Amino acid sequence: MDLISYLRENAGTVLLYGEQHLLVVFFAIALGSTISIGFALLVTPGEAAPQRWSLDWILGAIRDGALLVTAAALTVPSLALLVLLLPLFGLGAATTVTALTIYSLYSVLRNSVAGLSSVDAGVLESAKGLGMGRLRRLIRVQLPLAWPVILNGIRVATLIDVAIAAVAALVRGPGLGQLVLTGLSRYGAANAFNQVLVGTLGCLVVAAVFEIFYAIVERLTVPRGIRV
Amino acid sequence: MSRATTNPGGSADRPPDQQPMIVLEGVSKTYPGHLTPAVAEVDLAVARGSIVMLVGPSGCGKTTTLKMMNRLIEPTTGRILLDGEDVTKVNADQLRRRIGYVIQQVGLFPHFTVGQNIGVVPRMLGWERRRIRQRIDELLELVGLPPGEFRDRYPRQLSGGQQQRVGVARALAADPPVMLMDEPFGAIDPITRERLHDQFLEIQRTVRKTICFVTHDLQEAIKLGDHIAIFAAGGRIAQYDTPEMILSRPANDFVREFVGSGAAVRRLHLIALSTLALDKIATGSSATAGAHPVIEVDGSGRPVAWIRVPGVDGSPALATVPLSGSVYDAVDAMLDAHSSAVAVVDGDGRAVGALRWEALVGELQMRGRHR
Amino acid sequence: MPDLTRLPPVVARRRAGVRSHADLLSTPIIVLLGGAAVALWVSTRKLDDIETRALQPSAILSDLGQHLILTAYSTFFVIVIAVPLGILLSRQGARRIRNVVLAVSGFAQALPPYGVLVLIAFAPAPFGFNPFSVIAGLVAAALLPVLRNTVVGLRQVDPALIEAARGMGMSARATLFRVELPLAVPVMMAGIRVALVLNVGTAVLATFVGGGGLGSLIVRAQTLNRPIVLVTAGAIVAALALMVDWLAGVAERLVRARTS
Ligand SMILES: Nc1ncnc2c1ncn2[C@@H]1O[C@H](COP(=O)(O)OP(=O)(O)O)[C@@H](O)[C@H]1O
Ligand SMILES: [Mg+2]
Repeated sequence: MDLISYLRENAGTVLLYGEQHLLVVFFAIALGSTISIGFALLVTPGEAAPQRWSLDWILGAIRDGALLVTAAALTVPSLALLVLLLPLFGLGAATTVTALTIYSLYSVLRNSVAGLSSVDAGVLESAKGLGMGRLRRLIRVQLPLAWPVILNGIRVATLIDVAIAAVAALVRGPGLGQLVLTGLSRYGAANAFNQVLVGTLGCLVVAAVFEIFYAIVERLTVPRGIRV
Repeated sequence: MSRATTNPGGSADRPPDQQPMIVLEGVSKTYPGHLTPAVAEVDLAVARGSIVMLVGPSGCGKTTTLKMMNRLIEPTTGRILLDGEDVTKVNADQLRRRIGYVIQQVGLFPHFTVGQNIGVVPRMLGWERRRIRQRIDELLELVGLPPGEFRDRYPRQLSGGQQQRVGVARALAADPPVMLMDEPFGAIDPITRERLHDQFLEIQRTVRKTICFVTHDLQEAIKLGDHIAIFAAGGRIAQYDTPEMILSRPANDFVREFVGSGAAVRRLHLIALSTLALDKIATGSSATAGAHPVIEVDGSGRPVAWIRVPGVDGSPALATVPLSGSVYDAVDAMLDAHSSAVAVVDGDGRAVGALRWEALVGELQMRGRHR
Repeated sequence: MPDLTRLPPVVARRRAGVRSHADLLSTPIIVLLGGAAVALWVSTRKLDDIETRALQPSAILSDLGQHLILTAYSTFFVIVIAVPLGILLSRQGARRIRNVVLAVSGFAQALPPYGVLVLIAFAPAPFGFNPFSVIAGLVAAALLPVLRNTVVGLRQVDPALIEAARGMGMSARATLFRVELPLAVPVMMAGIRVALVLNVGTAVLATFVGGGGLGSLIVRAQTLNRPIVLVTAGAIVAALALMVDWLAGVAERLVRARTS
C-alpha cells in the first residue's frame, strides 16, 4: 500500500499518536521550563563581580554547578535514562514525561542564565540607582529583557524532546514512537514501512506545530521595545 | 543658576551656605583585595542648589566617590550626610529614590517607553496614575522633547542626545533634591554636547537641584560648575574651589599641570557678557555719524549686516553671540567670522549691543589689574 | 616603589586559570557518585542465578566492545563526510545552499534517530538488519552538527585576517589550510564532540536493527524483568556516555588551549 492511502485509512490512529506525542512533550517542556526559569531566577547573583564567599558568589557557584549537572544529563542516552527511571515511575507516560523534563532542563537553564546575566550593565546600574530592589530588578527589568533568549532555549529544548519522545515507546510511553515500534515488530508485513516512516516524519510535523506556537507566543510576549 | 552664590576669591575649602546638602567626612574606600584605597580621606561639602564638578584623570576615584553618595558602593571609613542625615542609617533603595542618578550609558529600560521610563520612580513611590502622567509630560517639556511626539517611543527610537535627556528627566521624576551625574554627556558628540550643556544650565535655573557631576573634561567642569573638586591619583582631592580660583590660583603642581596651558583662555568662559559694558548700537540704514557702530536690522529687529563699525575700515562680516553667553563665546564668534566686532543679541535675536576687540582687551586688562 | 595596585589582578588571574578547568572534575564526580550508589544498591541485594548470568562481565564487555566499534566507525565517517562538505558550503559560491542547510540543521534535531535507524534497516540491500545499516543510520543522525559547526567555524573567522593572508600573496587554498581551518578548529571540535555523544547514545538503539552494542544489555534486562539488572544496565550505558563526553571535552580543551 502506498503512503497516501495508508494515511487516509489510518488518519485517526496517526492523529491520536501525534496528539499524544505533542502533549507529552508539551507537559515535559512546561514542567522543565518552569523549573529551569525559576531556578535561574533564584540563583542569579545581584552583582556582576561578587566578592568571594558572599551570598552572590555562592549563588553563582550553585548556578554553574547546576549547568554542569544538567549538561551531563543531556549526554545520557535516552534509553538508559528511561530504564533508570522505570523502577521509580513504572512503564508509561510518567517515566516519559520525567525523562523529557530532565532533557529539557539544560537548554532552558543555559539560556535563562545567559539571558538574565547579559542584561546591559548600564541598565542594571541605573535600575539600582533609581532605587529598584533586587527582586524588582529581576522581575521588571532582567526577566523581560532576557525573555527572547529564554524562549529560544525553550524552542531548542522542544526540538530535542520531540526526537527523544520517539524512544519512549520502548518503555510503553505514548506518542509517535509507538508507530515506529509497531512497524519494526511487523517487519515485512504490509504497511510496516509506512508506519515507521509516518512515525519518524510525524515528529517533524509535531515540531512544526510547536514552532508555529512559539512564533505566536513570541509575538505576544516579547516587549515591543526589544523586538528585532 | 547659582553662579551668583559662589564667592570668587573667597575662602577655598567650603562653599558658603547655611547648611550644606551633601557632606563627606573623611570618606575612604578600599576595594576588597586591593592594597591601596580608591578614595582616600575625602572631605567635601556641597551647598544646597549648587553644582559641584568632580574632575580628574580616569581611575582617580571620581565614580567611586559619587556612588558612595547613593550607596551603590559602601564606604570603608568616614561618614556621608545627606541633608544632615547619615546615609548609611537609611534603607538603600528608599535613599536612592530620593536621589536622581544619571550615568554615561544612560541605561534607559529598552522594553519601556520613554514615558514608562520616566515614570519608574513615581510608580515605585505609589503616585496616582494621573499625577504620573502629568509629571511625565511636564518633564518631557522641561528637557525639550515634545510629549506628544516622544512619550510613547521606545529608547532605541531616540538619538544619543535624546536618550540622555530622557535619562535626566527620569532622574528628575520624583523631584529629588539631589542629582548625581556620572559623565552624562561623555558619549555624546561635541556639538550636541554643547547644546545639552546650555539646556542643562537652563533646566538647573528652574529646578535648582544640588548636583554632583563627574567628568574628566576640565572644559565641561568650568562651564557647568559652581565649584570644582580636582581629584588626584590615589583618590585624594587636590583642590576644591570655584572655577575662577582653580584657573587663576592652582593650589599645587598637580592642579597646575592638570589645568595646563590655556588657563587664561579658559577663564574667558567665566566672564558673562551680561556683566560687560557693551557698545551701544545704532540701527537702520540711516548712517548717522557718531561713535556707535551701526547695524542693519530686519523687521523684527534681528541684525542683518554691519553698516559701519568705528575704527574698522569697510563693513566687517556679521557675527552674533547671545547675551547669555560668555566672553569666550564672543571671542570664538569673532575669530570664526574673521571680524573684530560681534553683535550681542537677546533671547529673541534682537541686537542689544556690540563688543569690539579693542574694547574687550581694554576691559580684560582693567579686570586683571584689579584682581 | 612597586605599583601595589597591580598585584591583585595577577593573583586573581592565576586562580582563574586553575578554576577555569575545575568544571572538568564534575563529570568524573557524577559518574563516581552514581556508580557508587548503584554498586551499593546491588551489593545489598542477593543476586539469583538469572541476574548473575545477565550481569556477567564477559557479556557486558563484549557488548561494550561492539558499542565502541559502532561509535568509532560512525564518528569517523561523520567527520570524513561532514568536514569536507562543510568546507565546500563555507565557500562564497555556496551561499544559498549554506543558508538552507543552516536553517534546516536546527529543525532537523526533531528527527528521531530511532526512526531514522529503523527506516534505514528497512531499506533494500546492502542495508537491512546489519551493522552496515546501523553505521549509516548513526552517520545520518550525527552529520548535521558537524556540518553546521564546520560552516559556522569557518564563517566566523575574521574576514580581515583572510584579506591580510590573501594580501600577502597566499593562494585561496593556502589561506584555507593555514589561516581559516586552524582558526575554525575549536568550533569544529565542539561539533564533533556533539556528534560523538549523539553516536554513543544512538548506538544504544542499534540492537533493535541487528547491530548489537550496549543496547542488547538493556534489552536483555528488560525481557528478564529484573529491576536490578535493568538499573545496572542503564547505569553502565549512562556512565559510558558521560565518560566519552568527558574525554571529548578534555580533548576539546587541549585543542582550544593550543590554538588560542
Ligand atoms: N568594583 C570595583 N572593584 C575593584 N576596583 C574598582 C572597582 N571600581 C573601581 N575600581 C578601581 O578603583 C579606582 C577608581 O575607580 P573609579 O572610581 O571608577 O575612577 P574614575 O571614575 O575616576 O575613573 C580604579 O583604580 C579602579 O580600577
Ligand atoms: Mg568614572
